[in-house]
Amino acid sequence: MKIPRLTTLASVAVLVVLALFPVIGVSLSWLNYLFSFFIYLALATMWNLLAGYTGLICLCPAAFVGLAGYAMAIGTWVGVPFQAGLIAGAAVAVLFALLISYPVFRMKGIYFAIGTLVLPEALKAWFSFWHPVGTAYQGGGAGYAVAGVAGITLGEKYWLALAIAAASILVVHIILRARLGLGLTAIRDNENTAASAGVNIFRLKLSSFLIAALIMGIAGAIYYIHNPRIQPTSGFNISWLLLPLMATVIGGEGIEEGPIIGAAIVTFLRFLLADYGAWSLFIQGIILVVVVVVMPQGIAGLLRQVGAYRFPLRLFQAAEAKIHKT
Amino acid sequence: MSETAVLSIDRVSKSFGGIVAVKDLSFEVQAGQILGLMGPNGAGKTTLLNIIAGTYSPSSGRVNFCGRDVTGLPAHKLCHLGIARTYQIPQPFTSLSARQNILVATKYGGKKAAGMEHDKIFDLVNLSEQKDMLARDLATVSLKRLELARALASNPTLILLDEIAAGSTDTELPRILGMIEEIRKMGKTVVLVEHVMKVMVEAVDRIIVIDKGEKIAEGTPDEVMKDEKVIAAYFG
Repeated sequence: MKIPRLTTLASVAVLVVLALFPVIGVSLSWLNYLFSFFIYLALATMWNLLAGYTGLICLCPAAFVGLAGYAMAIGTWVGVPFQAGLIAGAAVAVLFALLISYPVFRMKGIYFAIGTLVLPEALKAWFSFWHPVGTAYQGGGAGYAVAGVAGITLGEKYWLALAIAAASILVVHIILRARLGLGLTAIRDNENTAASAGVNIFRLKLSSFLIAALIMGIAGAIYYIHNPRIQPTSGFNISWLLLPLMATVIGGEGIEEGPIIGAAIVTFLRFLLADYGAWSLFIQGIILVVVVVVMPQGIAGLLRQVGAYRFPLRLFQAAEAKIHKT
Repeated sequence: MSETAVLSIDRVSKSFGGIVAVKDLSFEVQAGQILGLMGPNGAGKTTLLNIIAGTYSPSSGRVNFCGRDVTGLPAHKLCHLGIARTYQIPQPFTSLSARQNILVATKYGGKKAAGMEHDKIFDLVNLSEQKDMLARDLATVSLKRLELARALASNPTLILLDEIAAGSTDTELPRILGMIEEIRKMGKTVVLVEHVMKVMVEAVDRIIVIDKGEKIAEGTPDEVMKDEKVIAAYFG
């Protein structure tokens, strides 16, 4: 079915309404929930680009988040404003991705996954001892506070998060409709055939890896503007992997809208179950298992299967036809 | 090496651990020729194709393509230079449609691939009616044709066909022979690995027989079929 132009219009409308939330008096706690949702959404969308469209089970988002967060935090201690730190943090994440790309891309499938899994752990160990700036009370296990961000309103932070979430979705949307998307899908489906059809596997994997590192880095740094203290245990925490992974798998891997649905559910669960500590992880784990068993394509996959989009799309089409007539 | 050789294999060997799959093999394929590679199971035919296509690099020896040393170049570079291959067991991009499958080869196959007409290719391989189907929904016969279509879509100089007729019924054979003839008419050079004797005898100009990784005979189909070493290799 042809996608009517109104779907684009509808997406823009949703974006505008979301952008208006801070000025139309939406409560602070809702802005707070949505802030987390946007960060998780950006991470999940990028994780989906890697796992769902490139076939890279990348287990090191925490490395990108942590490095970007640390770069920004340390920057504010030596007088770099956080805005510049945000860019610098993303640059550090991309640089790190570039440095590790050669060794990790030599490993395929599950070995790639394991190879990337150890990276955040290694960084966590390194940052537990590292004291680049500050007094004896900063750095190492104590981490750093992000200086100079106290005056930023929640609304501003909300906009930053919204921007990165929207950017991540737009980037994937564009990639999938470009030559790069075709090449990435080819690699995911069959690496050998892709190579013999002329696809430069290394270069394409690297492209999507660097794009993911960039956006995950920015998202991570934005998170640490809102939660302005970074420690090795938080910056390189495994939850930076589990959140996007769960969001992607629950929502639907390799499906564009999958991470949106998944990130909403993961965010909801995180706040709903926040008071239950370890039980929270347990319940999320059960939900993950149930989804994988009952709907291997995720919720979005199931929705597509039962044709849930047909009705709204038809509505849009009918509306569009009417507009054309008048 | 003669001037018209598109492909020249010079004393190529390949071993995996202690097992020698290809041993000191040399041959040439001239422009526009169809060369058949024959041999019992495990003789090293597919390994040889993998070396030519860049999936493996040889343990020793050189591979020359159109007068250029291409030994050890990666598969995608060789595709850009003009070598395409089909796989014995079809290896499609399962989540893409047949059309998108070959679009990968036109978009990534290098400069020469630009402007290849997909409809023509689909007509040639007789897949026109299924070009919008997802590869995962295609039957094996169609997948074999898709292999050929993808190989053609990068507009190669040399095309490597790995058992394109295997599993076909007798009624399909004339059609496959027709396809090979069409490919020859396009001016392409072909290396063909095949077990179906009818295809071997009728389609190729020259046959090389390998056994246990070594060349045991070379010549026209008639000559090779009478060769005692060949008969011994096949019937022991």
